Amino acid sequence: MTVSRRVFVKSGGLALFSLGLDPLFLARAALAANRPNAQPPDRPVLVCLFQRGAVDGLNMIVPHGEPLYYRERPRIAIPAKDVVDLDGHFGLHPSLAPLKSLWDNKSLAAIHAIGSPDATRSHFDAQDYMESGTPGVKSTSDGWLNRYCRHDQEHADTAFRAVAFGPQLPRILAGTSPALAIDDLQAFGLRVPQEAARDRLTRAFEDLYEGAATGLLASSSQEGFAAIEVLKRVNPAQYRPANGAAYPPGRFGRALLQIAQLIKSDVGLEIAFADLGGWDTHVNQGSSDGQLAARLRELGLGLAAFNQDLGERMRSVVVLTMSEFGRTIAENGNSGTDHGHATAMLALGGPVNGGKVLGMWPGLGPESRFEGRDVAVTTDFRDLFGEILARHLGAADLSAVFPGFSPNPQRFPGAIRG
Amino acid sequence: MRLRLLAVWLALAVPAALNAQALTPRDSALHALNRLAYGPRPGEVDSVARIGVMRWIESQLAFERLPDDPLADRERDFKLLDYDRAELARRYGDALRERRQMQREMSQSGDTTRRRGAAGPMREFRELGGELQQLAVVRAALSERQLREVMVDFWSNHFNVFVGKGADRFLTPSYIEETIRPNALGRFEDLLIATAKSPAMLFYLDNAQSIAPGGSAPRRRPGAPRGINENYARELLELHTLGVDGGYTQQDIIAVARIFTGWSIDRPQQGAGFAFHEWAHDRGDKQVFGVRFRNAGMDEGVRLLKLLAGQHATMHHVSAKLCARFVSDEPPDGCVDAAVDAWHHSNGDIRAVLRAIFSSPDFWAPQALRAKVKTPLEFVVSAVRATGAEPDSTLRLAQVVARLGQPLYLQPAPTGYPESQAQWVNSGALLGRMNAAIALAAGRLPGVSVDLDGVVATTADHGALVDAVNARLLGGTMSAHTRTVILAQLADVSDPVQARSLAVGLALGGPEFQRQ
Repeated sequence: MTVSRRVFVKSGGLALFSLGLDPLFLARAALAANRPNAQPPDRPVLVCLFQRGAVDGLNMIVPHGEPLYYRERPRIAIPAKDVVDLDGHFGLHPSLAPLKSLWDNKSLAAIHAIGSPDATRSHFDAQDYMESGTPGVKSTSDGWLNRYCRHDQEHADTAFRAVAFGPQLPRILAGTSPALAIDDLQAFGLRVPQEAARDRLTRAFEDLYEGAATGLLASSSQEGFAAIEVLKRVNPAQYRPANGAAYPPGRFGRALLQIAQLIKSDVGLEIAFADLGGWDTHVNQGSSDGQLAARLRELGLGLAAFNQDLGERMRSVVVLTMSEFGRTIAENGNSGTDHGHATAMLALGGPVNGGKVLGMWPGLGPESRFEGRDVAVTTDFRDLFGEILARHLGAADLSAVFPGFSPNPQRFPGAIRG
Repeated sequence: MRLRLLAVWLALAVPAALNAQALTPRDSALHALNRLAYGPRPGEVDSVARIGVMRWIESQLAFERLPDDPLADRERDFKLLDYDRAELARRYGDALRERRQMQREMSQSGDTTRRRGAAGPMREFRELGGELQQLAVVRAALSERQLREVMVDFWSNHFNVFVGKGADRFLTPSYIEETIRPNALGRFEDLLIATAKSPAMLFYLDNAQSIAPGGSAPRRRPGAPRGINENYARELLELHTLGVDGGYTQQDIIAVARIFTGWSIDRPQQGAGFAFHEWAHDRGDKQVFGVRFRNAGMDEGVRLLKLLAGQHATMHHVSAKLCARFVSDEPPDGCVDAAVDAWHHSNGDIRAVLRAIFSSPDFWAPQALRAKVKTPLEFVVSAVRATGAEPDSTLRLAQVVARLGQPLYLQPAPTGYPESQAQWVNSGALLGRMNAAIALAAGRLPGVSVDLDGVVATTADHGALVDAVNARLLGGTMSAHTRTVILAQLADVSDPVQARSLAVGLALGGPEFQRQ
């Protein structure tokens, strides 16, 4: 399907206004019709990576300048000789060494002591709150990235505006705005082995829906067929990462590679989401090596490869890591850590105010701990998310994205360069 | 008695309204089968039209009298129905201990290679969740008591729990069997009290951990929860009863949470049943919208639930949700008012409320026909029923439903899945439906065996083939455009079996079949 035909079909939908079609469809049709389809290459992109299971922020961004850190973690602290020093006080876990050059060129920042105002230590509740964007309120049915898409209509609603890599749409992208869940770009579309038969069947369904579907069924099917057409052009099977980038094997590396591919093919990607698990290190967490080190190595190699692959394009991309909470300051009896409160997040990309550990560091002293045991939260995660939406993506109305929260630029941690 | 007469009068009066709006008996049969059931099986539109749609509706409301032996045979494949909660609880406790033991060993040996894999001690409970999903799909596809299955789905969603959260892995099966199913067409108040006392809900919304300030268990573990937890109280008012605009305050939520302190669960070794812990209960006075609750232990909670069940806001909130399920995503006022009226007069008899909805002119209005988009569960089950297919007892068909966006019992938010098409219709999900339709028509959909010979005979006459597909699978709703497109696709297909597969696949994957 050509671009002009797609716009024509959508405009044709406008003529049906008086027939009482549902407003969502009309809004989407109008957006698509009123906007040139070609995407400027510098369209800002946000990539969100969720570390499910609560990453130990203290062993990811290590406060090696604090003696208490070593006293509380006799078996699992990262020895000072292994820490990749950042600013004399904090340093990277050695597994994240591939990111040091990004710190040095000021495109990588860490935000420490960040988290939720809600005290829950349940993975289930805390992930839910971080994705709904409404800590403490369970009944929010949509996610904050979806609400951003709904309320911010400055950007074109292309089929690939918001994409989550995985079998199902995650909570963070659930809602009324269109968003794709893609397990594998190569498998998106009708599953018919022979290409000719697949094309024919695709056209047949496209005809069926063009002629007989109404409302959301019509607009969504059009988006789907447009996406198939775009993917045919992009040809995911042929993709080779640029600049010698080597993604780590596994689901996470594959998701990052496909995100890079979508960004480079200018299909209108604005929001991408992927997650990686294995952070719930209650037992035998390890130190410079071991369980957590292996997970961080995959993260570090993935981010470094992504940055390398995108090259110049990183000037308009921000990658943000997040995790539902942090872990206890003291190690437990099983050489691990239990559920805590604040954690650390990473922001990477050209627009990032890098080379800094941002946020107010509360220290590890007993008097400054949350409930006497955990790193206290000094940055509400909504202040960081809100800053990135406003200053990077240009969101106009943050109160619609984070209901019940009044975002205040003075509280922004300063993750995006002014 | 008067109510009974009223119901009979309505049952007789409505067909007249039908005639006035020129719905043919087949149209109204199809509409009822789409909404009160998971779509028609081959020939069912005609049989319902023959006995009369209102008589069929009455038979569905009086489901106890409908024989359901083939389903009962199939249910024997599901071993979860043989377990009782206490037995599952013991095994869950064992699995937890085994997992801790494994972790200790790993810690001591320094061996981190053994990850939580498929063979871990929790495997049985992950499979249990899958079996529970599949049982729901099999019942929806095979039961003669279709309206009951629809209502079980409705209430399981209204009183949502999440099978992936901790102990709910083993508490959810008994929640469905003992809490939801026996009350699905009973009195709302009984259902509400049953959910409040159910271990699955008490765990899911954390009430099991809600403790009056200063309360302490006789043998308190270090790190055990302290203090009041408001989650259940909030969702009880906002989602289960009054609705978000139900006119309650944060003070009411706190008072409700205090009333429910002590409503908890026995430890797994003791069967994980409902337990009221006197030591955790807040003995102070409470006020909920001006009504005073003096200390009466567990009875306070029961009294409060009865009070909530009888509130007008509750009747309105739940009736509107029922009308959204049965009539239209945006429920018409007339139908909601009729349901609330019936609720008042019947003291919350769910059958009476449903009867009022099915007798309402809004239910039979032409704009209600095909106004709703099927959920993934409704799409998959209606396609299986339309093709006379037989789901097997593996987990695969439930996985198809999950891939299309509706993993059953796995909605983490207590809202359940919304009753609106925007939740289900997105481009990836629609392509998924097309793929499922093509696979089903070709006999390749996992977890189901299909024999199209019993539904649409093969023929070299493509016009006759498409007409038969329209009549048998789409209940005559195929548009002229769809007919033209399918015929054009068939033009160069000479093999009659292939032609039939293609026509059936396009029809089930096409826009008409996505609606109900």
